Amino acid sequence: MQGADTTRLDRRTLLKITGAAGTTGLAAMGGCLSDPGSDDETNEITITLSQFPDTIDPLDHITGDYFDVYDHIYEPLFDFEPGEGIFSRVVEDWEAQGDGSTELSLRDGVVFHNGDDLTAEDVAWTINRTVDPEMGVPSPIGTYGLGSIEGASAIDDTTVSVEYSAAPGLAEFEFGNYARAIDKEWAIENHDAENDAISGSDPEDFNGTGPYEVVDFTSGEEIVLERFDDYWGDEPPFERVTFNADGESSGRVNSLETGETDLTINILPEDVDTVRSADGVEIRQVTSFRNIFCPMKNTVEPFDSQEFRQAMNYAVDNQEIVDTILSGFGEPRGQPVAPGINGFNDDIEPYEQDIGMAESLVEESGYGGVEIELTAPQGRYLNDADVGETVADQIDQLENVSCESNIVDFGVVSDANQAGVDPDGFEIPFYMIGWGTITGDTDYGVQGFFTIPDNPNRTFDDEELSDAILESQQIEDPDERRQQLEEVNQMAHEKAPFVFLHTQESIYGVREDIEWEPREDETVYIWGMET
Amino acid sequence: MSMAKFLTRRLLQGIFVIWGVVTIMFGLRAVAPGDPANMMLAEGATQELVEQVRREEGLNEPVYVQYVDYVQGLVTGDFGYSWQSNREVEAMVIERIPATVELTIAATIVALVIAIPLGVISATRRNEPADYGATLFSLLGISTPNFWLGLMLILVFGVWAGLLPTGRRPVGFGEAVLTLVRYGSVYDLLVWLKHIALPALTLGTYFTALITRLTRSGMVDELGKPYVTASRAKGLPSVLVRYKHVLRNTMIPVITVLGLQMGTLMGGAVITETVFNWPGLGLRLIDALGTRDWPLMQGIVVFIAVAFVTINIAVDAVYSYLDPQVSEG
Repeated sequence: MQGADTTRLDRRTLLKITGAAGTTGLAAMGGCLSDPGSDDETNEITITLSQFPDTIDPLDHITGDYFDVYDHIYEPLFDFEPGEGIFSRVVEDWEAQGDGSTELSLRDGVVFHNGDDLTAEDVAWTINRTVDPEMGVPSPIGTYGLGSIEGASAIDDTTVSVEYSAAPGLAEFEFGNYARAIDKEWAIENHDAENDAISGSDPEDFNGTGPYEVVDFTSGEEIVLERFDDYWGDEPPFERVTFNADGESSGRVNSLETGETDLTINILPEDVDTVRSADGVEIRQVTSFRNIFCPMKNTVEPFDSQEFRQAMNYAVDNQEIVDTILSGFGEPRGQPVAPGINGFNDDIEPYEQDIGMAESLVEESGYGGVEIELTAPQGRYLNDADVGETVADQIDQLENVSCESNIVDFGVVSDANQAGVDPDGFEIPFYMIGWGTITGDTDYGVQGFFTIPDNPNRTFDDEELSDAILESQQIEDPDERRQQLEEVNQMAHEKAPFVFLHTQESIYGVREDIEWEPREDETVYIWGMET
Repeated sequence: MSMAKFLTRRLLQGIFVIWGVVTIMFGLRAVAPGDPANMMLAEGATQELVEQVRREEGLNEPVYVQYVDYVQGLVTGDFGYSWQSNREVEAMVIERIPATVELTIAATIVALVIAIPLGVISATRRNEPADYGATLFSLLGISTPNFWLGLMLILVFGVWAGLLPTGRRPVGFGEAVLTLVRYGSVYDLLVWLKHIALPALTLGTYFTALITRLTRSGMVDELGKPYVTASRAKGLPSVLVRYKHVLRNTMIPVITVLGLQMGTLMGGAVITETVFNWPGLGLRLIDALGTRDWPLMQGIVVFIAVAFVTINIAVDAVYSYLDPQVSEG
């Protein structure tokens, strides 16, 4: 008992001493709690993406999250407004020369973050670096984004000639979206950029003409931008911008709820109610330019039959998928591109589920009793695995077709999409994938899948469809070209190279007091915001 | 067997383990579906580009040639370049080590601070409510999956109570200490502490339960030994007996397990870092998996294997020094 008494006494003494020490410590710390590095936090914004850029070369990848960051540093040469076209930005004026080239006149007074003046040589070199696979970094921006652009040259200090193989209207959609400027001398001297991708982990490894410059960069974690004082254009609304990333939708929503971030992208439908019920934040959404569909490679059975491919479309209830799996965050679609895209055909209705029609088309095709498998990705698009499984289930409901789903990493699907149509070159003929037609022109949404010449990666082999696309690429009159593209979409609907599913919505969580409307092309521009 | 021979044997075993990990990782890369060149180029690359990348990265070479090249690179300290960022893998691994080490150490501290008193209370009040409570806690701690606990802590302390941030690491411990030294401000230190609290608790819970059990069973064993009875008979206060003599003897196996479990903690950090977006090696590994960035994945796994083996050998060395019977086999 003596010991127990001693313990009680000691514990009290200990508590007294601890309390006194704690109080003294807190008092001593009173003046030490402020952030020594912070001035004013009111003019800041934090944006949480779903994927942090893993390259710092702005020409390295076509990935929306990367553009969200790098467009503020390496701004696009033009402003692009979905459904409206391109407008001046770094390029003040431009004119097609009628000889397969367009001259771009650069704005005066545009400087890079390191103080160098922007020249026509910088722009021409950047375009060449993007489209020439032998130079710089092998870039899908060059092959897809600037697919018809052959090269560029500087005519004088402020004039660039861009050469292309297609009609000026198509070329304009391409360089209007994907042309940017890197400081040639800086890039070659510091990063050997003619032979390799730009890489690094310091703020000094970035140098664009955009409205923001990098002040802090922690690779894979966070990039902090501040207004560039010598920017040629209007001052952007926030002094300081922080981009970070969280791969989980629920994590991004948590950050939004707790005020750790101000805007976040790619919220899954099941997390929408959580944001809606939180204080001070809200959901904003827009129908994107991204269509989800299931290509069917027609060089193998049973997909070589148009009747069979149409049957697959009639087997699927797109409206039900949108209503249930996407909670309404999508629109059923019956053509390769989304509304707002140049060439979108308003007259095409989505295929409506008709089991009887599907079964009789299967019989007509001669493939009754066939077994097929749908390969679908997980974690790439809105509830993609669930969508894939439901599509397979609905096809499996047909009396004369058996269909199973196979859920895989996106990489497997991406490989299948790249493997071309040679039956010896692929193992997966039927898979689900998404495609964002971010140039705003149907050509970007169809040429990679359907054109035949010089396109070993196509997913469908049909000369009539291919010729129609190639013809559209050469039509100079914008109205005539749009009509031809509408015809291409009609043809695609009938030939059914895909099981057409839906256009998905982009869902954002945003602080209520930020005035900003989401864009169809999935980009997030600070300069489009107000507080 | 002399201690030198014992350690040499353990070192050779360790090298063999690391070689096994390297080989398994390489084998997985070889049999994994998908073409790495396509992944490097993402959507939209032409066949020509894919071929060019295959040539540049040596992906067209026979697998054994690629394996020999890779192992030679590792031996010379060249882990290669990340397929996604083009940065050196070594740099990408090294820059993430501090976050993982901070988290591992913080989780260990959490475990020790909670587990040892709990284990002592449980052992000294056997079959009392305190003992039942501690045992129940241990059982729950060992049974609860990390990812679930992390999500619950985020929900309760982050979202509902708004007391602690739900993730990320805006400042490292080193930077926080530098701020304190340079400016006399504890602001960064508090920010760091707030951000690491939930991840450390999540990662440390299993460990806490384990140490609680070990401490309890060790204490129970020791308390029944004659020297305890003798000490009490001499009139030594029971607190002195428990904490100075019994607990000290109990700590030997606890410290051994502590060392051995450090590697396990690093493995567990993969899940915890993902849940809390904590930018350590685990999160980088998951990111690399998502993009199938094999050089980076291999680099991280090899590093973790080396760390695990090194810690184990160090523990063995200390243990064999303390107890020569270990090295004598």
